[in-house]
Amino acid sequence: MPSRRRTLLKVIILGDSGVGKTSLMNQYVNKKFSNQYKATIGADFLTKEVQFEDRLFTLQIWDTAGQERFQSLGVAFYRGADCCVLVYDVNSMKSFDNLNNWREEFLIQASPSDPDNFPFVVLGNKIDVDGGNSRVVSEKKARAWCASKGNIPYFETSAKEGINVEEAFQCIAKNALKSGEEEEIYLPDTIDVGNSSQPRSSGCEC
Amino acid sequence: MKTGALFSLSSCPRFYYLLSSEITRRLDKSTIYESEEWKCESSGFLSRSEITHDEHPLSLGKSSIWNQFFQDSEIMEQIDRDVKRTHPDMHFFSGDSSFAKSNQEALKNILIVFAKLNPGIRYVQGMNEILAPLYYVFKSDPDEEFSVSAEADTFFCFVELLSGFRDNFCQQLDNSVVGIRSTITRLSQLLKEHDEELWRHLEVTTKVNPQFYAFRWITLLLTQEFNFADSLHIWDTLLSDPDGPQETLLRVCCAMLILIRRRLLAGDFTSNLKLLQNYPPTNISHLLYVANKLRTLG
Repeated sequence: MPSRRRTLLKVIILGDSGVGKTSLMNQYVNKKFSNQYKATIGADFLTKEVQFEDRLFTLQIWDTAGQERFQSLGVAFYRGADCCVLVYDVNSMKSFDNLNNWREEFLIQASPSDPDNFPFVVLGNKIDVDGGNSRVVSEKKARAWCASKGNIPYFETSAKEGINVEEAFQCIAKNALKSGEEEEIYLPDTIDVGNSSQPRSSGCEC
Repeated sequence: MKTGALFSLSSCPRFYYLLSSEITRRLDKSTIYESEEWKCESSGFLSRSEITHDEHPLSLGKSSIWNQFFQDSEIMEQIDRDVKRTHPDMHFFSGDSSFAKSNQEALKNILIVFAKLNPGIRYVQGMNEILAPLYYVFKSDPDEEFSVSAEADTFFCFVELLSGFRDNFCQQLDNSVVGIRSTITRLSQLLKEHDEELWRHLEVTTKVNPQFYAFRWITLLLTQEFNFADSLHIWDTLLSDPDGPQETLLRVCCAMLILIRRRLLAGDFTSNLKLLQNYPPTNISHLLYVANKLRTLG
């Protein structure tokens, strides 16, 4: 156990206001859904321990504000990201159309060393709404866009019902790991003794 | 304060409709109108070419009234979304009661009018959080003569308050000496002045960029860091201090850091950032006392 290397993987969640970024993150990290989230201002920060191929990683997730005004502040949050998650609402065409802007804005601000191969993952959220009847972006259309941008992995999710959230984040972690391995690994030089109530294992919380 | 007569907001919910009827009216003057009534007129159809290019609904021109219309609808959608998410835990603001609904309407009216009157800033997420305490206080006035004008009074005070803080909301000023980045830098300098050890540990050792937590503290005037009653307590000080709200706010933020210095000094990047983004419940009187001390030292 002590010989296990702990690695930080930085993940950024982007997308229009109200598509469910905060809900997705909380469903993944805390296994909870609430209708009571406030609008995110700046960026919220959460972590989750994940185990992958016998190694333990800390996923550092940055949940960002959706309004365009906050984009110029993004650079502080985007820098050093290992994977970028683009979220849209399947019931809102505009949020889908904006994926391209979010992707380009991210590449400009984060300026990753190999932008063509930087890992993105796209999530089409809110598939539960109105039993799917209010849906306006088809899966086919979304997959076509993802394919055109270098085969971005695509998941259809419901943060409310917890559908596909775990699967999506496993893929996100895997892709972050692939990109993170090529870069220098950041290890904090202080040991956090104040938080020892949290078990270091990443077993399921049921 | 009685400022009800200052600004009549009674027509504000109509902005949307006013604008759409304005478009129809302006188009009516010069363009085709393919309704049955038109066909009955003996004058017949006008040719399509008479739609001025600028006023075509698909026109990309910035001055097009349709462009303005689409921009306005976008802002109104955003305001609507955020007003619904304002203090979702409070019956005053949230839920299906007619009281909550009418309060939401008031918040929306104020934000829409503000956005229209301030085209350089329009609506920025978070303004709803600054507006909420003002409206709550005016609406809860036990004297009905005053509470009935809560919407107008709140608007007046919101404009007043934002006159000192609006630069924080303005993207064009982010990198200027008055924008949010430089305000955050001032907080950082204040901390360095009063507690250099803590400053060094946060910003040099654990590399917690103050923007990661102080952006929200400052732009929302601490409304999301404490419960509602505690925020009002802090605001009483922010709004009454002779140094003005901005200076007072920075001192309170600095005091917040100093109050939890022991935990911060023992923490790494992750635990410190989590602590600062989820500030622990605090004795507000003591916080304000410590903040006030920073003035005499500084």
